[in-house]
Order: sequence, then structure tokens, then C-alpha cells
Amino acid sequence: MHETEVHVHVNGADRRMRVEPRTTLADALREELHLTGTHLGCEHGVCGACTVLVDGDAVRACLVLAVQAEGAEVTTIEGLTPDDGTLSPVQEAFRANHGLQCGFCTPGFVVSVTALLRDNPDPTDDEIREGLSGNLCRCTGYQGIMAAVRQAAGR
Amino acid sequence: MEGNTFTGAARYTGSRVHRVEDARLLTGRGTFVDDIVRPGMLHACFVRSPFARARIDGIDADEARALPGVRAVLTAADLHPDVHEPWYSTAGKDIPDNPRPPLAEGEARFVGDPVALVIAETRALAEDAADLVLVDFDPLDAVADYTTAAESGALVHEGFEANVAGQLRGRGRRDVDEVFASAAHVVEEVIHQQAYAAVPMETRGLVVEWSGEDLTIWSATQAPHEVRAFASRLLGLPEHHIRVIMRDTGGGFGQKVVPLREDMCLMLAARKVRAPIKWIEDRRENLMAAGQARHEHATAAMAFDDDGTILAARIDHVQDVGAYPTPWPVGTAAAVGMLFPGPYRMDKASWSTVSVFSNTAGRTAYRGPWMYETTAREVLLDIAARRIGIDPVELRRRNMLSADELPYSNPNGMPYSDMSPREVFEQALGIVDYDGFRREQAQARTEGRYLGIGTSSYVEPTTTAMAPYGTEGATIRIEPSGTVNVYLGGGSTGNSLETAAVQLAADALGVDIADVATIQGDTAITPFGGGTGGSRSGSMIAGAVTETAAGLRERIVQIAAGLLEAAPEDIELAESRASVRGTPSKAVTLREIADVAYFKPHALPPGVPAGLEASGRYAARSPMIWANATHVCTCEVDVETGLVRILRYVVSEDCGPMINPNVVEGQIAGGTVQGIGGALLEHLSYDEDGNPTATTFLDYLLPTIADVPDLEYGHIETPGPGAGGYKGVGEGGAIGAPAAVVNAVADALAPFGADITRLPIGPADVVRIVEAAS
Amino acid sequence: MKPAPFEYHAPVALDEAVGLLGELGDGAKVLAGGQSLIPMLALRLAFFDHLVDLGRIPDLQRVERVDGSLRVGAAVRQSAVEHSAEVAAAVPLLARATPLIGHFQIRNRGTVGGSIAHADPAAEYPAVALTLDAVMEVASPRGSRDVPAADFFTGTWTTDLADDEVLAGVRFPTWEGRCGFAVEELARRHGDFAIAGATVAVELGADDTIRRCAIGLFGLGPVPERGTAAEQSLVGASAGDVEPKALGKQAVADLSSIPDDAHGPAEYRRHVGGVMVARAWQRAVEEARHA
Repeated sequence: MHETEVHVHVNGADRRMRVEPRTTLADALREELHLTGTHLGCEHGVCGACTVLVDGDAVRACLVLAVQAEGAEVTTIEGLTPDDGTLSPVQEAFRANHGLQCGFCTPGFVVSVTALLRDNPDPTDDEIREGLSGNLCRCTGYQGIMAAVRQAAGR
Repeated sequence: MEGNTFTGAARYTGSRVHRVEDARLLTGRGTFVDDIVRPGMLHACFVRSPFARARIDGIDADEARALPGVRAVLTAADLHPDVHEPWYSTAGKDIPDNPRPPLAEGEARFVGDPVALVIAETRALAEDAADLVLVDFDPLDAVADYTTAAESGALVHEGFEANVAGQLRGRGRRDVDEVFASAAHVVEEVIHQQAYAAVPMETRGLVVEWSGEDLTIWSATQAPHEVRAFASRLLGLPEHHIRVIMRDTGGGFGQKVVPLREDMCLMLAARKVRAPIKWIEDRRENLMAAGQARHEHATAAMAFDDDGTILAARIDHVQDVGAYPTPWPVGTAAAVGMLFPGPYRMDKASWSTVSVFSNTAGRTAYRGPWMYETTAREVLLDIAARRIGIDPVELRRRNMLSADELPYSNPNGMPYSDMSPREVFEQALGIVDYDGFRREQAQARTEGRYLGIGTSSYVEPTTTAMAPYGTEGATIRIEPSGTVNVYLGGGSTGNSLETAAVQLAADALGVDIADVATIQGDTAITPFGGGTGGSRSGSMIAGAVTETAAGLRERIVQIAAGLLEAAPEDIELAESRASVRGTPSKAVTLREIADVAYFKPHALPPGVPAGLEASGRYAARSPMIWANATHVCTCEVDVETGLVRILRYVVSEDCGPMINPNVVEGQIAGGTVQGIGGALLEHLSYDEDGNPTATTFLDYLLPTIADVPDLEYGHIETPGPGAGGYKGVGEGGAIGAPAAVVNAVADALAPFGADITRLPIGPADVVRIVEAAS
Repeated sequence: MKPAPFEYHAPVALDEAVGLLGELGDGAKVLAGGQSLIPMLALRLAFFDHLVDLGRIPDLQRVERVDGSLRVGAAVRQSAVEHSAEVAAAVPLLARATPLIGHFQIRNRGTVGGSIAHADPAAEYPAVALTLDAVMEVASPRGSRDVPAADFFTGTWTTDLADDEVLAGVRFPTWEGRCGFAVEELARRHGDFAIAGATVAVELGADDTIRRCAIGLFGLGPVPERGTAAEQSLVGASAGDVEPKALGKQAVADLSSIPDDAHGPAEYRRHVGGVMVARAWQRAVEEARHA
């Protein structure tokens, strides 16, 4: 019930967060570190809008307690964005292919796609659809997203 | 700027310009309402009724208030005395509205009905406190099923007999019945559409902050000026003391078009609690209480002569409006009846509609709220085709209006114009290769595989000009350095209005697109606008920008003519420069022109005012602008498991010229996939006691990327009467899709004989059809 | 949707974890991957005073061969199983069930032990464990004990574990010879909970006779089931004589507590369960014939 201090390496920097045990990583990133690019679409682990990388793995930040991330390496959408004002190849592919409209699901998609293509750089369409079936979008009908992932995979 | 053409060269308009919104949204730097942090901000959480209908005999919040970190627990007794006039601009003040108290008072009317408002230092603490609020509920029999609500004996709202919220009917019923009585073929079905909902990825939410004199509201909304107007009326606070700000909103689709009851509660609480307050709805609340849509049925019928020519159409429609429909739902339901004839030629039609209350979430707007008319008509036409023995495409060919028959008044008085129904139909069939598919289907049947094809065609009144939608304003400022800012009321929840504004302004002023920015959605800064809704924004923003830009363009040309010692009619504007036609080296930049306008007013030509800022307001030129489309869906049905796989999906649409084809196709795609969800997956279901059974994403199933193929598009551009000829496109996908999918599945299952007249179609429903046939 | 408050403990050894559970009593709950528990806490469907996280106990993260079985530590991530050549070779049924679990983001956190101890009626891993007659290794303040899968799953979300017991690992027997394995499930969308599913393992003799087989069913009752009657009728028969659809119908014929809800009425689930058995059987036999 009381707060505790958690040390996490976030987007390349050592950070400390004061959290309750019940605070999710998603809420801690947003509220304590003001990294508001990670969005809460459902808070029960279905929509994927909160996807971040923990120790390199794409996970639903709403299903990780902040205290479980003690000592871990966390990368959010902000951390995937290059420092020099450009966009990452995945981000650029989304922009070039009208892969977003309201943008609320977008950080989750960008993080998930970045992880998927890192582990499978040349996916088939079926592998793309299966891989991203855990990220929900309500605006795009997924059309621009498919096109973006194909482009980012070099097709 | 008379007529439909721009005064500028269309360099950006019409092309697939990349979006200006994307840079911030792709990098996690958007500002959604939950990203707003205000000093000393508190957090709100609602206590909600677990009963569909119950008397509220008392609320004991002592233990909740005593929890450390809890600032207030507010009930109806605290908030309602401050309510002045809570009415909506679209509905007006004088409609026979149902009661809409901010909090439940005396009676809870649906599961999720907000009963008390808890305000605490964190949302987690507010939820802890909400669990400690003791509400003395006395459960009552609920009206769970709108189809039996009239006989229920219980009333959702006192004074609304038989639970009827309102009813309307068209004329000519007797004539139509006579035609039916003597027609060669009559096809009549009761078609049921389930409750489903907009489900934007961002739930509802707002932050309210009272300064002692002014109220500031950050809102997830489609219409910031309506939020301001509504708050002003609700609170009795003059409009100039209210500021509403929206930056990024994560989807609306109609659910965020007007403030709902929870928004009212926060607006009322703002002056009672001495701190800014944030309320962010969670997903369970969104599915339980943000409203339902699409829940309706009708007896739909058409009369045909021997060769399948439609003689008359008749629809008797009943819709579930839940406990707190917002806004008044009866008027929109009339559109179901009036549009039922769709894009088909016929002399006679009649309609009636009844809106019925139930103890469920209130009906709220959702992308094409009247779209049931397309579901009912297009499903009925395929059933008719199978019964009469005509191919469903051939049946439509015999009856569908083509462009050269317009303008055409449908038998309910709907004045169709500027459309291409038969043309998009043929284009879609060409893209899908209809005859080729029928051959493929026949071959597959010999192999024991069941493929199907379904079409759905509709006409849609976009850009309706009723208040507050009839005008749209813009302010354009060319800054002293020659760059351009375009100010618009906005309301984009993903509609790409920033990009549209920038494209339109760049062309209207002859400016390089990189030199244009837009500011939208802040009532203190941006001109009054109606917001997004009714597929209006493309046309209205085009009008606002081009009207406003025209005067500025005139001044730029005059100043340039003076500087270049040329005649104004010889000046051309392009790429942020003014040059003399035929002598491109004689040119001056917009920066140089602005420098004169702002800093050297003595050097201006006579009669040209200083500065380069202008405001304008465009008034819609017609009551509505018609758009149309045809959807074609092919599918394969696994008759062992009942799973449906969509193979191809074609949309051929006519929204007139396109400001940005990416945006047009994106709008179609989003709406279409929502419609696919409505046909196969989504169901905001309730049990027989009025308990919602789909309150998380585990039970409310949204389509995923694995559920939809690549969409294919055809475009026909019939200009409408509005600015640029642009017509609306935002809602169409959701209007046309469900029937196309239903028809495809029914076509696949035609060998098994049953018709599908109830949505959604789940795998168990398919298997039931297959097993019933054997 | 924020959970109610709780205390959090992160022991670094199994006996420490077990000791904590003994001390903290029935207000304590084991936290493994959290992919099932945390949503329940967020929805306030479950309340615990203490969570004991198994995620920092190295002993629970090992995968190793042990006498004819593959022993998988309870905290081994589903994604590790999915990408493990060792698991694919030793227990193909476990490897093949894994991609059906939710989505890859879930599998990056979810654990083998967590899924089995959570015992969701529609989950794949409990059915795999039952099908292969796996053995659960259970630790408590009183020592350790082995529980055969057939005794482990006792009801919906209920197992033989006492409040102060931890599932430490699972031993999955490995099959040798001409074997085939398949998992088939019917879900509304990719990654959804199964409406009905089947896990099949078969070993064929050189002459295509069925030497051994196991048929598991999930989503068709409060616990995973074995199609024992069907299995018994298969042993000794020639694989070529088995009509898969008839086998499927037989396997589901006697199920008596099939769930009935909006996702699937009971008779539909039974029907689809039979189809899943038929399809899994066909694929498993096909594999065994080529082994």
C-alpha cells in the first residue's frame, strides 16, 4: 500500500520512479516520467495501444507492474524516435502510407512493428497479419498499416 | 470564387499529400486529453449502478470521504441545483426530449448509470473510494428488451407511455398497400440489427478548470464549440467565460459529437471543487455507458412486378434508444424511412418509425446513424432476388438509378442530385469481375467449398446545413515573414483536417505547402465551427478556406502588382512567390509582400489595407450534398466451423473531387472495417435482466488486421454543389459494409436454403443454417 | 481501471517464495507472467493483499531433459518455448500449441507455469499437459510433491494447488518413434480464447497401426478432458481405417458440461470440438506417417 522507488533504464537513461506496487508500467511511464506517448486503450491487455519494449521484448505495459520492471531496459515510442528530428524507418513508412488517422493506437503499432521486423525482417503478409492481430485500430481499417509494414520490410 | 473552381492552381489539392499531423503522432508527442496535466489536478471516478433499474433510496459516502486523498463525493443533490438549460444545438430547445439528469436521481435506469462522482488525488484512490460508497438500491423489474417494452408494465421514464420516446411516419401508406396487394411479387422480412457501438480507441474524457471567473475545458470531442455552447447553457455561464480546447482526440465516429452526462457532471463539479479535475473514462465504462447504436429492426418489404421492377417499398421501423438517448433520437430515425428506397427507381414508398426506451445504455450517434435503411434494403433485395429467381446483380440493374436520371426525387421526397449510383455499381462489379467470380463459385461448389458474393449500394446525404452545421469560418494570417497560419474550428478525431486545411490554403494562396500551418480546435482562438459530424468537414472547410483566402489573394496580387509595376491581372502566385506572367524573373516573394503590408504601409497601393490577415465565413449552398457508393464483398464460409473469411472487398464510391485521395480511402477503409465488425463480430449484448454481457474487449470483439483483406477502391467524381465540388465521405464505409458482408455469406450458403435476417452472423449461426438444411 | 492496493514481494529463491506464501496466508497470490492475473486485478474481479512474484527465481526458468521428459520451469516464458529448438524437438505438442496463445506481446510475458496453474478451461497448455500425462512439480512449506495432470485440474480456474503451494515446474514426457502431434482450435479471431480445441498425439507402428495415441479437448468443459473412450478404440487399429469425422464425433459425444454462452452455445461447441479432433487427428497421422 505504500510507495516504493523503482529504478528503470528508460530510453537510454537511468530513471527513478516512485510508485505503488499496484501501479502499472504504463501508468508509471505516463505519470511519473511524463512519457505520454504510451496510451491506455483498454487497461486489460487486449488493444495493444500501450505496447513498449522491456528488455527488448514487446509487451503490454498495462500488464506489467512498474515494480516488475526494476532494473529492466524499457523503450517507449519516444525512445524509438531518432534524436535528430528524423523518423525511424518504421515511422517513416507509416507516414508515407497513411498508416494512422487519430494516432491513438499508433505508438503501440510502431513499437510492435519495430519488434516484429527486428525478429523477422522479411515477413509474409500472413505473418504480418498474425503478428499484429493483437493491436487494435479503429480508424484506418488496417489498410495503411499493412502498406506501411510492407514498405518497412523492404517490399 | 463563384462556381466550383478554385482561384488557385491545384498543386496540392487532389494529391496524396503526407499528413502534417503524423510527425507528432508517430513519435508519441500528440496531446490527447489524458496527456493534459494541470497544477493541483484531481481525478474523478463515477459510482455506477449495477442494476438495470432500481430505486435509489439513499447514498452513504461517509467512509469514502474519510479515505485519505479523497477530496469530494458528489451526488445529484450536490450537482443538480446548478443545472440551467442542458440542451443541444442540433436538437434545439423545444423538442420533446427525455429527461437527462447528469447523475441518476431517485432511479437508476441502466447498468452503468452514474450515481455519484468521486474526486480524489489519483484515479486509483478515486476507484478505492468509489468501492466504499454505499448506495441503497432497491432493484425493480427492468425493461431489458425494447421489442417487448410496450407490454412491459414498467416505464423507463415517467410520462412516456408504452416506453415510446417518439414516432414519426411518412405519407402514402394506403397507396403503397394497394400496390402491394396487386403486385406480382411481394417480399417482406423482419430484419434485426444488433446493438453495437463506435468504440473509439481513445475513451471519453475531459479536464475542467475553474479560475474563479473562467471555465477552461480540455475535451476529447468532435466539436469544441458545441462543448462550449452546451456548457454555457448548462451552467448559465456566458459563452465568453468558457474556453474549450481540443488538440488530439483518438477517434469519435459520433460518440464524441456532443457532451454526455458524465461531461455534464464534470462541468458542474468544476466550480464546486477548488482544483482542476480530470475524468478519463475506462474501457469498461465506455462499453457500458458511452452509448449504444444500431439496435433496431423493421418489417421491410418491396413489391415487384413480373420482371423484377420495383413498384413500391415499405418499412416499419422500431429502434431501441436505451434509457438516455443523446441527443434526441427520433428525428434521425426518420432518415431510415425516408432513405429506404435508396438508389433505386420507384414510384411509391411509405415508412414509419418508433423509438422505444429500454433500461440499457442510451442511443448515441455512430457513423451513419440511419444506416439501417441500407442494411434492410440491400439484404431484402438479395432475398427477393433468390425468391423471384433473378441474379441479385441483375435485379439491381433493372432498378438502379443512373446519373443521367438525376436530379430525382425519391417517393419520400428526398431530392437526389449529383450522384452516380449505377455507375459506381458497374465500376465495382468490374473491379471484382463479377462474372468471373460466379464461375469460380460454381467450380468451388463442385469441390465442396462455399464461396459467396454480396453487394450493397446506398445514397447518403452529407454536409447537411442545419444549425449549427450551416456555416464554417476560417481566419488566415499571413505572418510578417510570409508564412501562413490557418485557423479553423476543427474537430478532427482522425479526419486529417489539418492536412486538408494546409493543402487547401496552400493552393488558394499560391503558397508552398511547407509554408502553411494550421491551428484548430481552441474556442479562444479559432472561429466558430460546427465540428466533425455528418460528413461535413471536407466541403465546409474547403468553403471557409477558399472564401477567406480569396480576399487575401486579391490584396497580395495588388501589392505585388505595385512592387513589380505590372497589371494585377498579369500577376501569378505559386510556390510563395508572385511573378509576372510570361516574365518569371520579375518576381517578388510573399515574405517581401508581407514586409510591405506590415512594416511599410505607406508603400501600399491606394485602397489596400495594411496587414495580411482576414476572416471569412462560408455558408452551405444547399441543404445537403449527396454522395453514393457500392460495396462488393466476396467470402468463403467454412461450413464445418461456421467461420467466414473475407476474400476480396471492393468499394466504388463517388464523393466528388477528392481533396486528398489517401484521406478519402482511409475514411472508407475505417468505416468499412467497422461495418465488417458489425456484420460478423461486434455485439453490445444484454441478458434478459438488462445486464450488459460485453463490457471488455474479451467479449466485445473488434475486427483485427487478420480479419480484413486489402481493400480495393474505385472512384467516380461527380461534383456536388458545395465549395470545390467536394462531397462528404466520412460515414459511407460504415453504411454500406454490413449488408455487403451479410449478402456474401447468404450467397455462399444459398445451397442450404436459409435467408439471413439477423445480425451479427457468428459461426454458430452459420452452422445452424447448414445443419438445418440437412 | 486500477487495481485495489496490494503489497509486492520478489523472492529470489523458491524456498523463499514458498515461505512467504505460508506466512502471508490466503490473502497472497502468486504472480508469474501476469497476463491473466493483472487484468483481473485491474477489473477488480479479484483482490489480494500480497502478490508474490516468481519472476526473479532462476531455478524456475530452466528447461532441461530429465529421464524421458522435458522439465520446464514454471517461470519459463511462452515466447522462450515458442522459439526453443529443444522444446520443438522434445515436446512438439507444447511447441505447436504456443503460437495459438494470445498474441506475441502476451507470450513475451506469459509463462508455462502461470498458464497451467491458472487453468483456464479454454487454455492450450493445460490440455497439452493432460494429453501427454505430464507431471506437475509442486513446492510448499511441507516439501515437494508430484501431481499427475489427470489429478491437477479440478474445476474452472481451480487446481489441486493449496493456497501455500507453488507450481515449480512441469515434466512433459517425450514420445519416441513414428510420432505425430497437432493442435487445432477454433477461435473467433486470431489469438482469442478457443471456443473448442483438440490436442492430438499419435505413434504409429511400421505397418500404420496405431501403437499409442492421446486426444485432449479444451474449451469443452470446466477442465481439459481426454477422449479416453476414443483413444481406447484406436489403439491397435490401422490408421487408414479411422474416419476422422467419425472419430471427432465419438471424442465429444459424452461430454456433459460444455460451456454455453455468447461465444458459443453448447451444441455448437460440441460440434466444433469434433471438427477440431478430426482435423488434428488427420494432421498428426500425416506427420507420423512421414516420421
